[in-house]
Amino acid sequence: RIMPVRWSRYNPSYLEPEVKKESYQKPLEELTEEEREQMELKAVQPIKAAPPTLSSSVFSDPMISKFTNMMMKSGNKVLARSLMSQTLEAIKRKQLEKYHKAPENEKETIECNPYVIFHQALKNCQPIIGLSNITKGGKTYQVPVPLTDNRKRFLAMKWLITECRENKHRRTMMAEKLCQELLLAFNNEGPVIKRKHVLHKMAEANRAYAHFRWW
Amino acid sequence: LRSLKGLVYRSLKLDHGCALHTAARDGLSSLSTQDAPERPRAVFHTSESDPAKHTEQHEGRLYNIPLEEVKAVFPHGLPYRFQQQIQTFNEARVMVRRPALEILAYLKGSNFAHPAVRYVIYGERGTGKTMTLCHVVHYCSRQGWLVLHIPDAHLWVKNCKELLQSSYNKERLDQPLQASVWLRNFKTSNERFLQEIKTQKKYMWGKRESTEEGRPLGEVVEQGLARVRSASDAVGVVLREIKQQSHRGSFRLLVAVDGVNALWGRTTLRKEDRSPVSPEELTLVHNLRKMVRNDWSGGAIVTTLSQTGSLFKPSSAYTPHELLGKEGFDALDPFVPIPVANYSPREFESCYGYYLERKWLQHEKAHTEDGKAELQFLSGSNPRQLDRLAGPL
Repeated sequence: RIMPVRWSRYNPSYLEPEVKKESYQKPLEELTEEEREQMELKAVQPIKAAPPTLSSSVFSDPMISKFTNMMMKSGNKVLARSLMSQTLEAIKRKQLEKYHKAPENEKETIECNPYVIFHQALKNCQPIIGLSNITKGGKTYQVPVPLTDNRKRFLAMKWLITECRENKHRRTMMAEKLCQELLLAFNNEGPVIKRKHVLHKMAEANRAYAHFRWW
Repeated sequence: LRSLKGLVYRSLKLDHGCALHTAARDGLSSLSTQDAPERPRAVFHTSESDPAKHTEQHEGRLYNIPLEEVKAVFPHGLPYRFQQQIQTFNEARVMVRRPALEILAYLKGSNFAHPAVRYVIYGERGTGKTMTLCHVVHYCSRQGWLVLHIPDAHLWVKNCKELLQSSYNKERLDQPLQASVWLRNFKTSNERFLQEIKTQKKYMWGKRESTEEGRPLGEVVEQGLARVRSASDAVGVVLREIKQQSHRGSFRLLVAVDGVNALWGRTTLRKEDRSPVSPEELTLVHNLRKMVRNDWSGGAIVTTLSQTGSLFKPSSAYTPHELLGKEGFDALDPFVPIPVANYSPREFESCYGYYLERKWLQHEKAHTEDGKAELQFLSGSNPRQLDRLAGPL
């Protein structure tokens, strides 16, 4: 039986684990006074358990991990991660085929790195302003409201995943669907970008109720 | 100038970090430093695309097979991931490795008047057994041999939708779909032999159709493709004719079977009364077993063991004894075992360099030393794991 540790209330004396390899490879002389003190503290104080998502690999990316977690269903991280890697590979294959067939002058414009495409697509899908339901005088109004960075990222990822799950042909594989969606979003086309624009237009239309917001 | 280029190739290969070479070669390193900035990528390539000329010098390097040749020689038989790689990179590059060089040396020095020698390629999962077999098949087709390549014998003992009772022998079962697919691919790879080899007996296909004596084998293949019900019998006839005529010396025969442990295991197929089918009751397997026996001369039999497609075998099994079982081992008994291992450090460098050059490794960190060390550690120098890891990166 696995005892829940991460959400337990640790004693405040517990320190966070340090995963980056570079911090352990620095020789002693280069450290400043504070860092030396902190190293001595770490040798004595207890340290929290590292979560399984924390990785010291040079290839780990927090956005990709977040996206994989959102794609996961009923705790099947193995499947979600394999889908993610298949998606990235599919994007890379498509872009490389296009690259090798393109004439010389166009080769620099084609982006082959799946990570760059993923980040850019997410950035293009993020809404700038959101709507929030505020009840005033018995009626609920859709009020335009600024969004935090976390909320924007969450909305972009959520829209991408729901779009792939619901509005595509039943027999296509998830990796293929995601690959197509990400490539469309990278070029600022596709249904997810449209949804973002619709949200912006609604916020623009409801501009009059903006003063209902009190935060 | 060509000899200078050859020297530069060899010395750059030395500089790539393998400690096996003598100090005499160090004199050439001065030459290499001038060309190193221009040609560091080409070290792990070799322009020698004829497998007959591959020697230990070419070990660890990748050679190119022209795409038309790939379509002609390998209509079936290449692993799926390799086919995808050919499509993405627009070229087919195969690494020259020691087990393949070993088999090629044995084939070059073998006496074809003696009975056929059997070679069994074995190794852990994902070490390159199928690719070694494909290298040998390419060599033999370049030399003009008749190549009988069965891409995966496991496909014949599982997932068969149609099982017909054989008309030739009441106890056996036919597999029309698998037989017709194999006949089509066999026709693509061996066009000219089908016109040269003549049948030696009259064969009856049912009550009205027959093939006379002295007709080219191509007609038997056409018959099998046209009448799918008799495709398995057509396969049997083809195998029988080729085996009988190989000792005459007009052609050399290579029997290349991938996943030979399927012929002596169990099947997942069932008859209509839900009783299990054993492999000898399948016509295709029965005929192939006769082919793999060493009672004919004028060629060689190269086979591969495979755990990945096998049925009812534990996943840690890779040795011939475990995978073939007692029956299979006794049937194959005097054979030459050829183990295939993971990548050596030089082969790993070569594969990594190839991926970098073809822009397959796109992640920024993959180009650094840290990334390379991490890839080597995570894959354990296993070719399949490296391929799978490098996919999303």
